[in-house]
Amino acid sequence: MPFISQTQRQTDYHLFPPSHPIVIDNGGSYFRIGWAGETEPRIIFRNIVQRPRHKATGETVTIVGDHDPALMKYFDCTRSGPRSAFDSNVVFQFEIMEYILDFGFDRLGADQSQVDHPVLITECACNPVQSRSKMAELLFESYGVPSVAFGVDAAFSYKYNQQLGFCDNDGLAICSGFTTSHVIPFVNGEPVYEACCRTNVGGYHVTDYLKQLLSLKYPHHMSRLTWEKVEDLKMEHCYIALDYASEVRLFQKGAKEAEDKTRCWQLPWTPSPAEEPPSEEEIARKAALKERQGQRLRDMAEAKRSSRINELENELKGLEFLLQQLKHVEESDIPSFLAQTGYVSKQEIESALVKVTQSLRKAKGEQVESEEKTDPSASEKYTLIDIPDNMLTPEQLKEKRKQLFLKTTSEGRQRAKQKRFEEELERERQNKQDEEKRLENPELYLEQLRDKYTELSEKVEQRKRLKTNGGHTNGNHVSGGVGRGERLNAAQKERMRLLTTAAFDRGKGEDTFGIRDEDWQLYKLMSKDNDDDDGGPDEDEAELARISSRLQDIDPAFVSKTESGPVSEIPRLHPLTKEDFHIVLGVERFRCPEILFHPNWIGVDQRGLDEMAGVSARRLPSKGESLEKRITKSILMTGGSCLFPGTAERLEAGIRMIQPCGTPIRVIKASDPILDAWRGASTYATAVQFPQQTFTRSEYYEKGEDWLRRYQLRYTL
Amino acid sequence: MEPEVIESEIVLPTHFSFKKTQMYEKYPKGQARGRHWKHLKQIIQAENYQNYPPNEPNYVNIESPPSMHPCKRICDITGFEAPYLDPRTSLRYANADVFKLIRSLPNEYVQRYLALRNAAVVLK
Repeated sequence: MPFISQTQRQTDYHLFPPSHPIVIDNGGSYFRIGWAGETEPRIIFRNIVQRPRHKATGETVTIVGDHDPALMKYFDCTRSGPRSAFDSNVVFQFEIMEYILDFGFDRLGADQSQVDHPVLITECACNPVQSRSKMAELLFESYGVPSVAFGVDAAFSYKYNQQLGFCDNDGLAICSGFTTSHVIPFVNGEPVYEACCRTNVGGYHVTDYLKQLLSLKYPHHMSRLTWEKVEDLKMEHCYIALDYASEVRLFQKGAKEAEDKTRCWQLPWTPSPAEEPPSEEEIARKAALKERQGQRLRDMAEAKRSSRINELENELKGLEFLLQQLKHVEESDIPSFLAQTGYVSKQEIESALVKVTQSLRKAKGEQVESEEKTDPSASEKYTLIDIPDNMLTPEQLKEKRKQLFLKTTSEGRQRAKQKRFEEELERERQNKQDEEKRLENPELYLEQLRDKYTELSEKVEQRKRLKTNGGHTNGNHVSGGVGRGERLNAAQKERMRLLTTAAFDRGKGEDTFGIRDEDWQLYKLMSKDNDDDDGGPDEDEAELARISSRLQDIDPAFVSKTESGPVSEIPRLHPLTKEDFHIVLGVERFRCPEILFHPNWIGVDQRGLDEMAGVSARRLPSKGESLEKRITKSILMTGGSCLFPGTAERLEAGIRMIQPCGTPIRVIKASDPILDAWRGASTYATAVQFPQQTFTRSEYYEKGEDWLRRYQLRYTL
Repeated sequence: MEPEVIESEIVLPTHFSFKKTQMYEKYPKGQARGRHWKHLKQIIQAENYQNYPPNEPNYVNIESPPSMHPCKRICDITGFEAPYLDPRTSLRYANADVFKLIRSLPNEYVQRYLALRNAAVVLK
């Protein structure tokens, strides 16, 4: 039930004679103004002022009250939020108050040279005289009001309900407003302020608490949780539990009742368009595109190859031609002839020819089997190896060394090949064994394989983690330790140790560094990228790869961890669902209004509404059992914050606990907790004796501040 | 101004015929003025309530005293009854699940939860 303001400009202002009072209920949340004797205020709006900048013209304008949010788009409200004239329940910013009164009188239709009507305006109980006098001054000086009266809203509400017959001459008004809650006892129809009691908790705090809790619970929807929206939520869903502890236990147990009591607010949400799998056409098109690109690359490679073959053939021809020519040239002319060609000797030309033929063959795709061919002739190739050195000429010695080198390398290659072959055999053997095992007992085998897989992958993971960093595993450290505080892994630690010893061992004893070749290995260990040089699949990793490939073959449900690992590390955006846009109100529904009864939940060390009633009763000067019994028989709840369902029952239970046994207790809700204060003031202002309760400008200046301090309305006329 | 803005009359006019002193006369434009209001605390201080008899009601002495009931402790996150207190964050919590949650909360959120019951550490 969001409260709707009404700011339609009134046209019948001139119909009221100058003696007809204007009644203002200047509440913390709403400002209500109207004519005395009427049942409804004419103008109601939120008691706030905004001073935004008009976007088009750039001038600062004043906007009073709440307005259609659609119109606010023309204004830049970023630099000034809504402001209130109230600090707690006392008016302290009279510039803002003046804007509000301007707007109120303007909408009431005032169009003469001054507001020529007596004004009855509400204030808080025991309003500081500074605020009261400033208000009187403002009304007298700026608006030319002839006379002013101040009254307390809760008292007017009580008197109004008394006239309606809801409560008695003696009673208790419990008024929970926007920023404060009051308990005011009434004796003989007059409020007893000596015994009244105030706690600085009200509807504002409930809304604020709800807003804070929800925005902490749903940080992503913070922008949705505007003050106005939360206020609406509060009015619609919040209630007061008869017993907080038992109510919350329902929720803690997840009982059925709790589920029924949970409210859910669905934020506007449009499902993101489902990703459709690509159609057949699309796949075909993509495949064709890929094929075309592949073809182009192949063509290019082919062209390159043919051009190279061409080139080589030309060169070959040229060389052959040169050799032909060289046959005809005489022995003595050879050097001069060769000088033109750039070759030094016939041998060189021949070797070039061999090279070109070889590369031509390679280019044509024929196998170059020179190595294979050399194998059988190994013994004749390495002719010089077995001959002792001293029997050889220097040139032959050189040749021998070359042959030795060639022999060792080819032998090494041979050995590697052999080893690879053996490994292959070993693997095959293992696979065969595995296969046999599997056929024996597939279930058990699979189980074992899986166990082994997890064990191994954990081992490998562990090692990797150790290598990269141990810091991420040690649970929650609030400020994610960065920089120097970070723990180093083993390799990094070792490196740091090496560096420090290298730095500080200088000049200690004799410097023998560099005498042995191994000393220089130190630099390799020190270098930063040393950490990953021991990479390359070690035994465990190889085994892991084997098992995972095996598992992939035989277990359809198997998903390789190492493959999915790096993918899953990136936080995958799961599509937002409807549930992500739910604002669930569960415990909050009664937790927030509960602060009216337990103000110290929000850090206000004062009593709650029920205890306040006890304090008030005790503070009454004329103590008497009968009086206390009389006032508890007529307890009136008023003010916007007693609209929560269950307040009356809770208040009754709470007051019953602190009052003596057998005390009659009756808690009544005001006929309209929000508007009754204005209505009471409106009827009050029509009384014949009302003018005697007001004071004029000259009276105010004559009597001075001390008189104003003691000024108090008589509510029974 | 846009026509709909003018039509709705949401902008307060600067001149009213019923006023004896207009806003622009009281607070002339372009003139720097300091803070010309007192906050409630200052107002109360200036009232000198200590000079008046204590049985006379005033804004300060009608305030309600601290509660006589032992404070009901509720979980800062869930609102359940909270038998435990986390010594690290000094948040109250109801059970192990909530404890897990509060240990994973960033410090900013912890402070905001504490601020709800006016227990946050205020660094000045």
